[in-house]
Parts: sequence; structure tokens; C-alpha cells
Amino acid sequence: MNAFNLEFDFNRLATKLLVSVSSCIVLASSLWASDQIPGPPQKKPILIQNAILHTVSNGTLVNHSLLIKDGKIAEIAPAIPAAEDYELIDAQGKHVYPGLFDSLSYLGLVEIDSVNASVDNTEVGPLNPNVRANTAFNPDSEAIPVARANGVLFSLISPTGGLVSGRSAVMQLDGWTWEDMTIKNDATMTIQWPRLGNSQARSRGARGQRETESSQSDNSDRSGPFQELVHETLAYAKAKVADPKRPLDMRLEALIPVVEAKTPVMIVANSAKQIQTAVAFCQQHGLKMILFGGADAIHCSELLKQANIPVVISAVYRLPTRRDAAYDSMYALPAQLQEQGIPFSIASDGRFGASGVRNLPYHAAVACGFGLDPEAALRSITLSPAEIYGVADRVGSLQSGKDASIFIANGDILETATQVELAWVQGRKVDLGSRHTDLYQKYKTKYDRLNSK
Amino acid sequence: MTRFPVPIALLIWIATSVIPGNALAQRTDTRPDVGISEHKVQDFLLSNARVVLEPGIVIENANIWIEDGKITQVGTDLPPRNGLRRIDMSGKTIYPGLIDLGLEADLPEFSSNRGTPHWNPEITPQRSVANALENIPNIAALRRSGITSALIAPKEGIVKGTSALVMTADAPLAANLLRSDVAMHMRLTVSRNRGPGNYPSSPMGAVALARQTFLDTQWFDAANRAYLASSNLPKPESDSALWAIQEHISSGKLFVFDTLNEQYALRADSFAKEFGLKAVLKGSGQEYQLLDAIAKTGRTIILPVNFPKPPNVSSVDAALDTELEELMHWEIAPENPARLDRAGVPFVLTSSGLADPSELIAQVRKAISRGLDPIKALDALTSKPAELIGLADQIGKIRPGYWANLIVADGDLWNEKSKIEEVWVRGIRPTPAYKNDQNIDGTWDISIVDVKSPSETTKPKLQQFQISIKESARKISGSILLPSAGPEPDPKEDSKKESTPEIKLNGLRWSELTLSAKVPAKDLIVKETDANGSDSNTSGVALLSLAWISSAKNPPMLIGTLHLPDGTQWALSGKPSVNSNSNAPDQPSKDTKSNDDSKNGSEKGVSSKTIASSMRYPFAAFGLEMIPDQPETLIIQNTTLWTCGPSGILRDADMIVRKGKIEAIGIDLPVPPGALVVDGTKFEISPGLIDCHSHMATDSGVNEGTQAVTAEVRIGDFINAEDITIYRQLAGGLTSANILHGSANPIGGQNQVIKLRWGRPYEELKFHGAPAGIKFALGENVKQSNWTDTNRTRYPQSRMGVEQLFRDRFNAAKDYESTWKKWSESPSGPPPRRDLELDAIAEILRGQRWIHCHSYRQDEILALIRVCDEYGVKIGSLQHILEGYKVAEAIAKHGATASSFSDWWAYKFEVYDAIPHNGALMHQQGIVVSFNSDDAELGRHMNHEAAKAVKYGGVDPHSALQFVTLNPAKQLRIDHQVGSLEVGKDADFVLWSGSPLSVRSRCEQTWIDGRKYFDRQVDSQLRSRDSQIHRRLVQKVLESGESTSDKSSLADDPSRLWPNHDEYCHHHHDDHHDHHDHD
Repeated sequence: MNAFNLEFDFNRLATKLLVSVSSCIVLASSLWASDQIPGPPQKKPILIQNAILHTVSNGTLVNHSLLIKDGKIAEIAPAIPAAEDYELIDAQGKHVYPGLFDSLSYLGLVEIDSVNASVDNTEVGPLNPNVRANTAFNPDSEAIPVARANGVLFSLISPTGGLVSGRSAVMQLDGWTWEDMTIKNDATMTIQWPRLGNSQARSRGARGQRETESSQSDNSDRSGPFQELVHETLAYAKAKVADPKRPLDMRLEALIPVVEAKTPVMIVANSAKQIQTAVAFCQQHGLKMILFGGADAIHCSELLKQANIPVVISAVYRLPTRRDAAYDSMYALPAQLQEQGIPFSIASDGRFGASGVRNLPYHAAVACGFGLDPEAALRSITLSPAEIYGVADRVGSLQSGKDASIFIANGDILETATQVELAWVQGRKVDLGSRHTDLYQKYKTKYDRLNSK
Repeated sequence: MTRFPVPIALLIWIATSVIPGNALAQRTDTRPDVGISEHKVQDFLLSNARVVLEPGIVIENANIWIEDGKITQVGTDLPPRNGLRRIDMSGKTIYPGLIDLGLEADLPEFSSNRGTPHWNPEITPQRSVANALENIPNIAALRRSGITSALIAPKEGIVKGTSALVMTADAPLAANLLRSDVAMHMRLTVSRNRGPGNYPSSPMGAVALARQTFLDTQWFDAANRAYLASSNLPKPESDSALWAIQEHISSGKLFVFDTLNEQYALRADSFAKEFGLKAVLKGSGQEYQLLDAIAKTGRTIILPVNFPKPPNVSSVDAALDTELEELMHWEIAPENPARLDRAGVPFVLTSSGLADPSELIAQVRKAISRGLDPIKALDALTSKPAELIGLADQIGKIRPGYWANLIVADGDLWNEKSKIEEVWVRGIRPTPAYKNDQNIDGTWDISIVDVKSPSETTKPKLQQFQISIKESARKISGSILLPSAGPEPDPKEDSKKESTPEIKLNGLRWSELTLSAKVPAKDLIVKETDANGSDSNTSGVALLSLAWISSAKNPPMLIGTLHLPDGTQWALSGKPSVNSNSNAPDQPSKDTKSNDDSKNGSEKGVSSKTIASSMRYPFAAFGLEMIPDQPETLIIQNTTLWTCGPSGILRDADMIVRKGKIEAIGIDLPVPPGALVVDGTKFEISPGLIDCHSHMATDSGVNEGTQAVTAEVRIGDFINAEDITIYRQLAGGLTSANILHGSANPIGGQNQVIKLRWGRPYEELKFHGAPAGIKFALGENVKQSNWTDTNRTRYPQSRMGVEQLFRDRFNAAKDYESTWKKWSESPSGPPPRRDLELDAIAEILRGQRWIHCHSYRQDEILALIRVCDEYGVKIGSLQHILEGYKVAEAIAKHGATASSFSDWWAYKFEVYDAIPHNGALMHQQGIVVSFNSDDAELGRHMNHEAAKAVKYGGVDPHSALQFVTLNPAKQLRIDHQVGSLEVGKDADFVLWSGSPLSVRSRCEQTWIDGRKYFDRQVDSQLRSRDSQIHRRLVQKVLESGESTSDKSSLADDPSRLWPNHDEYCHHHHDDHHDHHDHD
């Protein structure tokens, strides 16, 4: 692996490890297991009546019914006759949505951000194409019920860090084990595209300066290590055909579906230059690319359109990446992509580990104040990610034949005050309680008692 | 240089006020002679010069007498004088030598454990450059650049020590030293990354230390006097540092403050005012950005002329990443001196910041071309600095009795073409350069008089040719002109002989009367085939070398050789071409000069245009050109008012604002005469949002995280009015914010409440009338839980210790109070020492300073409440307070308020039990609850956060909005002024496109004091204004052909170096791949 001469901050990693080991090992075993019990398999059909159905794929249907059978959406119609064994839900005035889909989170991988013993989203070293996020997914994470309680029923979970971070997976957010909960293995290969040129460096003082200098001292492509990796994989794949018994290289093995364009690469890139080089590289090598981050995506809109590359906007609640940029440049990005006809989805921002996933709908909603129509906003957190990650045949919209992973809310899910009242994952009823509601009830009880004295 | 008529009287005075010259000079040193003593003629008479006596006063054909290093006579009709060595200065212009007050030297490391130094190694006023300096750094370069006197200051420290005024003669320091301990030099900041062990580690800590030191000086002086009067009184410990400061102040000497940018200039001024110091500011070159405020200080500025190189904008990405501020600064910086002059700011100029002092003259010329009066420029380098340091009777002018510090130039110093030829310091004549000044301009006929060849195969193409040399300014170029047939003529070459083919002479050098150059061989020789059939080698480079031979009798000749690559040598001989018109010792054509002048004039016209287009503050994108208008009377009609006061939500209501205050609220109010009428139908209006926990608008690092207690530190010392976060949060409806110190220590620094008056200097951002406050912190951050183990040594390391530390400091403050009380009741002896740390804590105990305490877990919250109860202290606000919901009854009973995150949790262990219902639960127990941001991004949508109180725990919408309006105002005790739409309060309000609690609503306008500081429409105008200027300047850089800088001129700006978030809060530690922009 000499070819991969990357800047990798081992010191920082080592420090991080040192800091946390002492204080946190004790906690790991006992604390983290949510009290919510996964729903039992659906026993009888469920008929939701008189609801406002936000189908996403077919507009909003007022006063419609939706039938769930065997974990699937069986029928959508203005009126569906009820059979005797149906469980009936009168949803008059209520809104039914497909489960929200976070385009990237660290749910199940990060419990407490500062406690390293509880963080499993980063492997050591720059090249980890072989690692799979879902194998470290903790179904009992307290963060999962918290996210679910606001309608988020799916998430892509991905490794991060290094250059090639590893393989992501699409998860549904109720079940007993990570295997139960995996909807799609190896959904993407996640790549952290090297930072290029002097992007952001000039204005960022001493720290940025170093980067400029290092990039000047070395004229070679910063993406070189990844290019080399692709060539090595191609050579390895060929050699393997010639000699199937040759020893396995787990890293290259994992990359074969990538170079065969079976697994998309999700490239984390924000500056215009990063995006341009990443797209050019993927085109050159015939890789299937998803752009993640995308702060400057609108500067490269023609390129993204031509190459047909979808954008996962990592967050809408996000500061402009340049001091001089318009204050609303991130708020307005979804509408701008929409106008350009570039497919996009919106993620919840991994800034706080997995703790902020429940705010996913507001990332989409804030874009509505800046030109995005509400239907497109809803799509960006339901069907669009399902399409981008290749699971739209099963999830992402209210459509007969798809999984009955849906929820009922008492209002518009893009408005904060709205409450999620009922939810199902594949027809299994989801416990919408969480660590937060438990603690709330506990201390509400305290004050009820105090105040009744 | 403008020539002023010199009054006859002055000439006479000059001619008659003779200082008698000493034929036998007295020795001025005590050294024994070594070897044979010298008695050269060291006194001079410079004759027939144009002499600039002082800026604006010029005499022609004057003589100067120099005796014993001083000027003894200057004038036009001087009597004969023997014994002086006469030097003809015809055609020369003599100026007073330049004085540079901005230089620094590294001194040997100060020993902080010898003698009686100050406890803090940053305080070294007793250091004296005169005592510690080995050599004047860069002295020869200074001298060559015309700098004959320099003020040398120590480089390091907060109170650094005193400077020395030296001359730059080639002589020992002892001879050059003109005055020691001239000024005390200070720098109200520290370098970044001093680490957690070294107090102070932040600019605000540096100011706090400096402030304490100057107070200590006063106390030290009083205590010493008292002790001298009565030895029964306690003797203050000896401290040579405090002693040195006291001496400096009492002798009325100067203080010089380094200022890193325009805001630092104002801060230094405030500090100097606070202690009544006679101070000047060493400038940054950015003064024009806050010109009015800086002019108001009346301080003299030691001004650098290190105008930046343009940024690299040679690619789309580079241009995109180049901030407007950098481009505009590149364009305007050379105008800084002119602008200061026009604004009446006194200044002197310095070479400080230039890579080499020899750039000084060129940079000043640039400033002159951009409007600086040339006389003012000279004044700022001669008379002005001499006056500033009290040496106006010795240096800075050419007058009898002054030191003979002179610049001899071949013309007007500010003319691009002029050169400094000699610099005299202390009457010492520079070793004459004897530079070859023979002009070989013109065309020469060259003959090949002999060929010596080892191979006989190379033959010259020609027997005769011409060489044409052009010399202009310092550049020399030339070419070989071939008689007729030959290589194709180069159409680009500008040749006097239209059709003559020519070969460029490469690497042409003309020195020591010798000319050398390189010529491609193929152009000179004929290719032939030898007997063996191989071609002669015609590639390679021929070397030409010619000497200039001349005598009084004969015309000049060029004689030399040409060496061909194969070893062939041609002997060459040349004489001036008959057709040539300019071999004769030339008369440089003077008319080019007047052309230049007119060119300068037209540039001035252009630059005044750029002034008009770029006045703004901050001097960067989105800066405002003027303060937003305050309509006398304003009425907003037919709108929805979320009053956040007792009236609740009013529909179809009107609001009248007069002179920045709310005058009336109601239904169908009559329109006051002359009122500006705004139709509010489309909007819903809320009070301006308030954030009770912010770190924006700081450029001092947020934390003085060294000591466990830093109550003396003040956030208010470093408000950065230029932080773009102010504008971004304004665009989210925020109007006031509590700027807090970070959470690195149990007792942190003092807070500063601000209003987001974007575009105003930092003093105007301060919320006058907001009571004093201070940051406290508990838990993981103060016990350093997330630090590396090697740094985990400071007390406290547990929550137990944190609680004890508060008691200890409260006790200390109580003792301090009673000491003062005792003294003021019967003042005998000196007053006790003022301790700024204990002052602040004593204010807490007296109820005059509110605690804002970072806190998470219920145990630590309760412990703090109990300690405060015991000491009779009421907590102002508990910050974050994420487990407040567990002990709400105790908080309510104590009377503390709670400023919480809406829904953050799980970013570290102590917030694993945080729940979003926290706010609602505390609210329901009667606590005044707010939601805060602590974050540049979150602070842009506090209204969205408020909505979460509705979602989690069912707070009604109007009360929820109070979480980010009235309640934080109450927590900061500013609710009499802001926080709700009520008659008599400040007109701080926001126009929303819909309900302020809807995530889909947008802030359309934000008003503060009845002025519209943000408006979506104005915002789009600013964008287009700025992108136009950006485009223009990128083009200007590209067209300028100037070499660009890869280092941003903004890179060293303090606001870029210091973080403006709380580094010790874990939620900021993340450097997730997609969020490089957040840290």
C-alpha cells in the first residue's frame, strides 16, 4: 500500500483514543439498550380510512383509504370496503406519509459523539473499502427510537473517514438485529474526495495556509491514490479470472463491484473543484457516482446534468462555505437543483453523531422558504433517496406493492408542531416511545406529585 | 517636489547662524587607540546641490558644511572655508535622512528568574533595547534605503520594554545610540496556540493582564511611597517591571501600541485612555476601513506601507475562493496614507512589514501616485517622526546644528526614475560607490579583427556588424544588427533601422566598464562540411565580452572577444557608429518626466472614483455604505403582531414607531403626519429574536482557558464588528445576543451583550444598559474530561472540586471586600491593591454581576444553587441546563432562569439524558426559559428552535416564541428595553413571510432601533453590487500583470486566527467530512 501516500492524522486519532478509553469502557455494556420493543409481525390487514395520503409518487389524495396486508401496501383507493378481520383506523383529518428516509446518518454507529467506546463509524487508515457499516449497527441504540418518533423510518448508514471509508447500507429502523433491519447491503462505496487547490484555504488563516503549501509542493493529483486503487482493482479482477485460486485481497475484492459499476460510489465533495474532478474521474472510469455534500453543486450544474449524477445535500441547515457567499446559499440550494432538473435528496447533517436525525423534515422544510415547493421537499426525504440508493421498488412512496413502512401524523410533517401518531415498518407497528419520552414521563410524574401536594 | 519660495530672511538666517567648526575635534569616546591613529579629512563641504532643507523648503545651488558629524552651515552664499573636503554635488538633490519609528529587534531571551521580574513573563517593561541589543539588525540595508535614524523596539511580549533611537552609521551601537528608553512598547494580544499552560493564551487575557499590571503599578507606587514614609507599613515586594512602568509614566514618556488591524487601533486607544497614557499606535495599513473612528482618537499612527500583492485569481476556483475583502484591500491599501491625511490623522511612515527596507521609497511613491501629498510623505519620514520622539532639534532637517544625516539623490526622491546615490549618517561619507556611470547607449560598429579557431571549420557569417545598446532606468538591453541578409527580422523588436535583421543579446550585463552577453551561435557562423563529411557544429551559445576603453583624448572604443561553442575566438573592436545619435555622454531627456506627472494626475482621477465606490463597513462583502435610515415616524398597518407581551397575538393590528421606539400598538391607529407607511398585510411581525448564549462577533478566541478562574477577562474588549455571522444571524431575525466567554474554566470571563447593528464600529454594537454578567461553567469541560491526559492536571478534575473552587473564590472576594471596607472607613497607609479578578467576583456577591452558568447534570446544578444560596447570590441564568428538567423545582425556588438548547443531546456523556421536553417542563414549573444557540448556524433560526417547545411538551405558540424573545431579555435583565412589542420599548422587530414558528417562513426584514438593518431586497442589491466589484477586481488583477501572492492578505488577521466558538464544547469538536465549514 505504499502508493497511498495520504495525509492521515494518526496523532489525532491516537489522542482521541487515549482520551476516551479510560472513562468510557465501563459504560458500554450496560447503558445502551433502548426500552422499545420491536413490533410483532402483522397478523391482520390494517385499513386506514378517510386520510390525506401523501403518496409522493402520485400527489396528495384527500379522503382516501390505504390497506396494509402482509407488511405491504395492498391497495390505495378513495374507499376500500372493510372486511371483518381488518383493523380499522379512522384517519379523518390525519396525514399519511411514507416513512422518511435520511440520506445519510450514523444511527446505530455512534451513540455518544465524544465517547469513543460508543463510536463505530471510522476505521483506521485511509483505505477501508472492505468494511461494512451495517455489521456494526446497534439495533438497541437510543438514537433510533428518537429518530423514529418523528417519522424517520429509513436511513443510509455509512462509514466515514480516510479516503475510501467503506460500504454503506440502507436500514429500516425497527427490528431485532441488524440483519432484520438491513434493506440493502453495500448500497454505496463511500469515498472522501481529497480537498483540492486552495478551496477555503485562503480565508482560513494559518490552518488553510498549510494546506495550500502542501498542495503546491506536490504537483501530482490529489486523487491519485484513488485512481491507483481503481487500476489495481481492475488488474486484480483480471488476474482473478485467470487464476481463480489466487489469494484474496479483501480490499480489492470489495472494489470489484465498484469498478464494474454495480455498486455506486458516494463521493463526499463540496467545492466546485472537488466536484469537477470527482465527476471527471468517475466518468473516465465508468463508475456510477452519487455526489454527497454538494455545497458548490450549483456551480457545476451543467456537468452534473450531463453526467446524470444525483446529489445528496448533506444538510440544509448549514453555513455557507465561503465568507462572501449569500447567507441563504445552502437554504436555496435544493430549489436551485430542482430548477436545473438535477435529482437530489436531503440528509440530516451528521454533525451531532446520530442525535439530530429527527430534524430531517426541517432540513427539507427550510428550503421551502427559499423556493422549493413542499411536494419536492417531501420527495427529497422519501422517494428521492430511495431512488438514489436503488430501493425505490420497496420503499419511498405510498404505492401498492411497496413495504408498508409508513406513518400517520396529525398535520403537515414539514411543520415542527406536527406529531407522529402511528407508524409501521413492513406492517409491524412501531413503538413511538423513546428514551426521551420515558424520561419526560418520569419527571412529569415527579412534578405531578409535587404539585398535587 | 513643489518648490516653495524661500524667504530671504531665512536664507540669511541660515547663512549667519554658524556653529564654529572645530579643526581639532574633541574625542567622543573613551576607548584607547589601537595601532596607528588616522587623521583623514572627515569634514566636508558639499557644493552646488539642490537641498531640501525640510519638507517643502528647497534651495538651489547650495553648499552644506559638515563638521564632526553635524551640519555647521547650509546656504547659497557661504564664506570661503578651508579645511573641508569639497565634494561636488552638482545635479544632485540632498534630502534629510529618513527616520523610521517602526522597527523591531529580537532581544536575547529575558531571564524571568533573575533579579525581581514580574511574575508573568509577558510583562517585561524593564527590558531596554539600548541595554540588550547586540547589533542593529539589517543596518546596512536600512542605510542604503535612506533610513538614517530608527526607533528599535523589542519584538516579544505584552508590555515589551523600551525602544532606542539609533542612527544607522557604520559604527558601534554606542556611537549610533541617540536616545535610550524612548518609548514603552505594548501589544495587546498574544500569539496563537500558546497552549493551556501559559496565561494569557488569548488576546482578551492579554488585555486583562495589561490592565491589571497598570493598576498594580499605581498601587505599587502608592505602597512604596507609604512605606518610605512609615516603615511600619507593609513593604511591597520588589518588582523591577512595575518600577519601570512607573518611571516611564512619571517622566511623561511615550507608549507605542502595536495594532494588528483597524479594530485593534481603537482598542489600543481605549486602553491608553483608561490609564491616561501618552500613546501612539503602530498601524496595520487597514486604518482606512474605520477612518472616522480612528481620526476621532487623535492618535498619531506609525504607518506601514507594505501594500499587499494581488491574490491569485488565475483560475475559476481561485477567483471563486478569493474574498472580496482581499481584492478590495489590494486595490485600496496604497490609498491608506492619503485617506488618513485627508481625514486629518497624523502619521509617520515606516518600512516595517516590508521584506526589505529598500522597498520603502517605491512603496511611498505608490502612495503618492494614489493621492498622498509628496511633501506630507517626506514630512512623515523626517520632521514628523523627529518631533514625535522629541528630537526635532537634532534630526529630520538639514540645518546647522543637526546631525549630518543626508540622502543624496540624482533627482526628486519621489520620481520613479530617481535613485538614491549616497546616504550619509553622522557625517560619515559612504564609501563612494564608484559605480560605472558611463553610458554606452547607442549603436556601435564592430569589426572582427582576428579569428582564432582550433578547427578551421567555423567561419564567421560576416566581418562586420553593429551592436545596439539601449539603457533605460536600470535596465539595459541590446542586439546585434546584421548588415543585410540573415535571419528573419523579428517584427516585435523596435529598431531604429527599419529593416535591419537583429539578434537579441541575452543576459546582457554592463558593469565595471565591461559588457557581457550571450548570443545563439547559429546566427553568427556559416555552417560548413569538413573533409570527413560531418557538419560543423552550429548549435550552442556564443559568449560576448567587450570592454569600454576611453580616455580624455580619444573617443570611446569597445574591445573584446566572442567565444564560440567550439572554442573559436573572435577578436572584436568597435567604435561609435557614425549614424548613431546618442553615444555621446548623454543628456537624459527630461520631457519624459513631465509625461509621468500627467500620468500620475490621471491616476489620481481614477482612484478618487474607486474611493466613491468602495466606502463601506465592514470593508468586505455585505458591508454597509451608511447606517440604515431611521425614519422619524413609521407605521406598519394591518399586520399580525406576535407581541410576546401581555397583549399576545394581535391580528389586523398597527404599530407606530417614532425615533427608534415603539410609540403605539393597536387596531386602526391614525396615521401620524409624515409617517412612513408600511403595508404589513403580507407579514407577521415578532419582536427581534434574542440569543442568550452566543460566541459570534469575537476575535479573541472565546476562551482564556488557562487558569481555573479568569474573572478579570472581558469579552467586551474584543467585540469584532466585522464577523459575517452578525449579518447571517440578522438575516434570521436575531437582533440581540449575549456574547459569552467559553466553558474552559469554572469561573470564566465577563460577558458582553450586543445588538446586531451590522455596519457599525464595535463600540456601537454594545448594548448599553445591559447589566454586567460573567460566565461560570460546570462538568466535563471545566474538569477537562475530554482533554489529553497530559493536560489533565489543573484543579479541579472532578465535580467535587468544582464546587469547592466556587466556595474558595467567594471567600477570597469576601475577604477582599472587607479589606477595602476597612481601609475606606479609616484610610491609613496606601489603598489595598485592586484585583480585577476579585473585583468581578465581589460584584457577583453584591448582586451587581449576573452569573451565566454552563451546566448539564442535575447534581452539579443543585450543588451550584446550594453554594450560591449560602453566599446570598442569585444566579442570572443557567446555560444549556439540559438536566434542568430533573430539578426544576429547585431552580424555580432559587429564582434562576434557564437558557437551554431546544433539542441537542448525546454529543457527550453528560448530555445523554437531555430531552427536548426540557424547556417545556421547566417552563411549566414557573422558570423563565429560553432557547439559545451557542452556534453560528443555529443562531440563524432561533424561531425554528422555539417551535420545538410546542412540539415537545405542548407549550402554546405565543409562549414558545417568548423562549427566543422576551424570556432571554428577562434573563439578561434587558426586558425593560427589548424582548416584546410594547409601547416604550426599542423598535427591534422582524417581518416574517408567515408564522414565525413555521420552518417554511422566511425573515424578510429585521429592524433594530427603528432602522432596517436587514432586508431581503437590499440583500440582493448587495449581492449584485459585490459580485460586480469582485468581477472588476479580478479583471484588474489579471490585467495588472503583478505577481500574485498565494498567501491571503487576510490570513494573519486576528479574526481568522482565533476561533469564534467555544472550543471546549464537544458539539463543536466534530470535523465531519461534510462539515469542514463548521469548525
